[in-house]
Amino acid sequence: MSTKQTTLLQGTLDLLILKSLGAGDLHGLGVSRRIEQITHGAFLVKPGSLFPALHRLEEAGWLSSSWGESENRRRAKFYRLTKAGRAQLDVETEEWTRIALAMTNALAAS
Amino acid sequence: MKLLSRIASVVRNLFRKEHVEDQLDAEVKAYVGLLADEKIAAGMSEREARRAAHAEFGGVEQVKQTVRDRRAGAGLELVWQDVRFGSRQLWRNPGFTATVIVTLALSIGANTAIFSLVNALMLKSLPYAQPERMGAIYQRVTGPGASEQRTGIDGEKWELLRDNAPALISAVSGGTSGVNLQSGSRVQYVHNARISLHYLDVLAIHPLFGRNFSPEEDRPHGPKAAILSYGLWHGVFNSDRNILGQSILLKGEAYSVVGILPENVATPVNAELYTALQPSREGEGGGTNFEAIVRLRDGASWQDADAEINRAWSARAQRFSKNSPGSRVTYYSLPLQKAQTATLRPQVLALMLAAGFILLIACANLAGLTLVRMIRRAPEVATRMALGASPWQIQKQFWIENLLLALVGGTVGVGVGVVALRGLLMLLPEHFLPVASVPLDGRVLGFTLMLSLLTSALFGMLPALTARRVDLRSSVSSRAVAGAGSLRLRQALIAGELALTVVLLAASGLLIRTLVHLETLAPGFNPNGLMTAKASLDDVRFHDPANFRNLLDASTAALQQIPGVQSAAVALTLPYERAINDEVTLSDGKESGQEGITDVIYVTPGFFETLQMPVMAGRAFTDADGSNTQHVAVVNRAFARKFYGGASPVGRYVNKDTLIVGEVADVSVSSGMYEGAPLMSEQAIYVPAAQVNAHFLELIHIWVQPDWVVRTSGPIEGLTESMQKAMATADPNLPFSGFSSMKEILAQTLATQRIEVALLGAMAALALLLSVVGISSLVANLVAQRTREIGIRMALGSTVRQAMVHIGAPAVRASALGLLLGLAACAGALRVMRNLLYGVGVYDGPTLLTVVLVLAAVTGIATALPTLRIAGIDPAKTLRDE
Repeated sequence: MSTKQTTLLQGTLDLLILKSLGAGDLHGLGVSRRIEQITHGAFLVKPGSLFPALHRLEEAGWLSSSWGESENRRRAKFYRLTKAGRAQLDVETEEWTRIALAMTNALAAS
Repeated sequence: MKLLSRIASVVRNLFRKEHVEDQLDAEVKAYVGLLADEKIAAGMSEREARRAAHAEFGGVEQVKQTVRDRRAGAGLELVWQDVRFGSRQLWRNPGFTATVIVTLALSIGANTAIFSLVNALMLKSLPYAQPERMGAIYQRVTGPGASEQRTGIDGEKWELLRDNAPALISAVSGGTSGVNLQSGSRVQYVHNARISLHYLDVLAIHPLFGRNFSPEEDRPHGPKAAILSYGLWHGVFNSDRNILGQSILLKGEAYSVVGILPENVATPVNAELYTALQPSREGEGGGTNFEAIVRLRDGASWQDADAEINRAWSARAQRFSKNSPGSRVTYYSLPLQKAQTATLRPQVLALMLAAGFILLIACANLAGLTLVRMIRRAPEVATRMALGASPWQIQKQFWIENLLLALVGGTVGVGVGVVALRGLLMLLPEHFLPVASVPLDGRVLGFTLMLSLLTSALFGMLPALTARRVDLRSSVSSRAVAGAGSLRLRQALIAGELALTVVLLAASGLLIRTLVHLETLAPGFNPNGLMTAKASLDDVRFHDPANFRNLLDASTAALQQIPGVQSAAVALTLPYERAINDEVTLSDGKESGQEGITDVIYVTPGFFETLQMPVMAGRAFTDADGSNTQHVAVVNRAFARKFYGGASPVGRYVNKDTLIVGEVADVSVSSGMYEGAPLMSEQAIYVPAAQVNAHFLELIHIWVQPDWVVRTSGPIEGLTESMQKAMATADPNLPFSGFSSMKEILAQTLATQRIEVALLGAMAALALLLSVVGISSLVANLVAQRTREIGIRMALGSTVRQAMVHIGAPAVRASALGLLLGLAACAGALRVMRNLLYGVGVYDGPTLLTVVLVLAAVTGIATALPTLRIAGIDPAKTLRDE
């Protein structure tokens, strides 16, 4: 995925990040890999988009961060959903579903 | 939640920047490391993995920068960077920065000082409870002689008001005058105000100790009571609580102290102690000598009050219409604050206008300066734009620099304003302003801040607009941008400044001529070598005419014994002071029965000689004019002209049996009969002090204290002490209060005019200075900008003089246009000053001519001086400089 596409879907990126952290804490690279995984390879998020998004979500209060150890015992910054973040995830999921349904209906019409 | 989190983030990002950066750096490094770990796990070598990871990551610094750009508080940080950059720029150009700050400080300071006055006089509420419920009663006359003014009321009107206006709490005061207060062996001249029963209630002031007057004490011949001000209680009685209920010796009689007022309490009459007015329809109440103030009771409205007042005085209104056919009188109430500041308001507003002019002139200067600076920085701007800055970013930078200058200038301006205000207040005589103090409060500071922001917008706006039209290529390559458009703009600014300066200079010129006219009015006597002092005869000891006569005789005789004193006399009022007026009836000849008003002044026989007033016909008074001889009088020329058509008044009779024995020259007095010039000649009748009757004596000294005056052959050491001692031999318990020369009395009477001249003159001078600075800097810039062009011209054969003329021409043209515009503006603007001018017309030729000549000369020099630098230009050198 090119940089241009990612900026168009900034809101989508936020939702993907929140979703990816729903199962548990991840570090930055982990978030990127998880998104790749749950979208079946459709979206590859580059650091240039990932880092600003993670920091923005943290400043908004939806993520919290802490330093921990990776599998290879490398120090990395881990992110987790806050309570507000979880609530925001539900809200945005519902919103996205509504939009997707509306778009599908619109495009199916002749 | 989101907002709180953001605020916390902003704070963290701004104040713990290093920590945040370290974290980001560590996070990025960790990411790259993890990426490399993945690749190593997939089989790459460590070195390969690291290289691949870095390549896949992309530009580290760029990623970090995108994070920084989107961070909370990023915008603020940018602004802060602009501020630091701007400060450095300003610091490196001390000449420009200093000029701007000084210009701003002076002009904003002037505005701050004047606005403090406006604030204290008109915007701040009076220091009483619910001041909007306090009012004064005005009288509107329609028909011939229409007027709207606050007039005094007499005893009859007072009683009608008091008894028939339940919507109001009403009170009257009889004025403030000097009285003798004896405490122990010490006698002092203090200021006493006579107030009616509910005066303090109208002001909502409650005595700190004791009580207000009781109804008995405010009835004629009621018990004598006094209320002390805090200052007097502290100063004379040492804050002794026991003085309450005791008697003090006031005006020669025992008064019981019934109350003491709280500290820092101001009343409209501003006195040191208060006694009950005891109003009636006789005596004082026989004339319109009371001043009324009222307070609306709860639940009543001003319409109710006005209706009640008109009903209460309807009989009087009808009488008025009968006496003056075609005229009608109605009464209405105005808020007290408006009434008290009525005379000062137009003058203060005029001053605000002048201060506004100065600010505009300052902004014009600053706009010109900033424009030049902008042009000089065009290469820098062009470079920044080439590097990717947007026009908005460039403009933001300039706006921030202007804002910095304006804020610093405004802050210094507050300091300047405080100093100016203090100086101004020192100039004013005591009790000139109807307010107790002029503070620098929040409203004034807010005004100053707003003004600073406004000026920064004004002088920043014009040049900032030109930043948009910077042509990249030519700006980077050439060092000097021609900027023809900017020259036109600067010329327009100069013309505007000069126009405003012309108006200010003309206005102050007219005021100066008015003051000179008033001060040099033929006095009618010789004011040099005279010393005067007042003593209070509002004292039961001097109600008896015999005692009164003895006092005058003994004191004048004692004064004449002082070595160096040529003559001494006593008069009820002196020239330059306000005289008492009364009715007079002509009693003989064809004018018999005619009535009129005249000033009345009693004098001792030596008066005309002491003042060196020429006696034009008949004689002056002698010791022979005593209490049992023919009642005589001396009138002045104005009296003769008004009542006898200029014929000699000697030998005529007035007021039944008073014989006019002499005619003297007119002297200037502070106008009391008519609303006119502050100093004018009024018709006056002089009577011998020895022939004043008891009733008149008692009444007159309630309002006015007489003056003792001596003429000396030269300045005398310790004259005032000698005068005090001489008076003590005549009566040891009668102190003199305040010694003044005639010059000082004149200055007191003309205080308003002097202050007008001082203030407006100072502002006109400031405006002139600013304009001169503006013109010189314009020409200096032109010389600097066009150095190459001049070099070329001179190389091609032009002389230095021709070059000077060519360069100076734009400035001269702008100045000439400004002068013309200013003169045109005067035609309209000066008309508002009509009421302030005496002895000089609004379109006074000499004044306008002087202004034009002065400005032409000054601007000529301002234009010529900078052009002298052209002489130092070496054509060969300038051509070589590329």
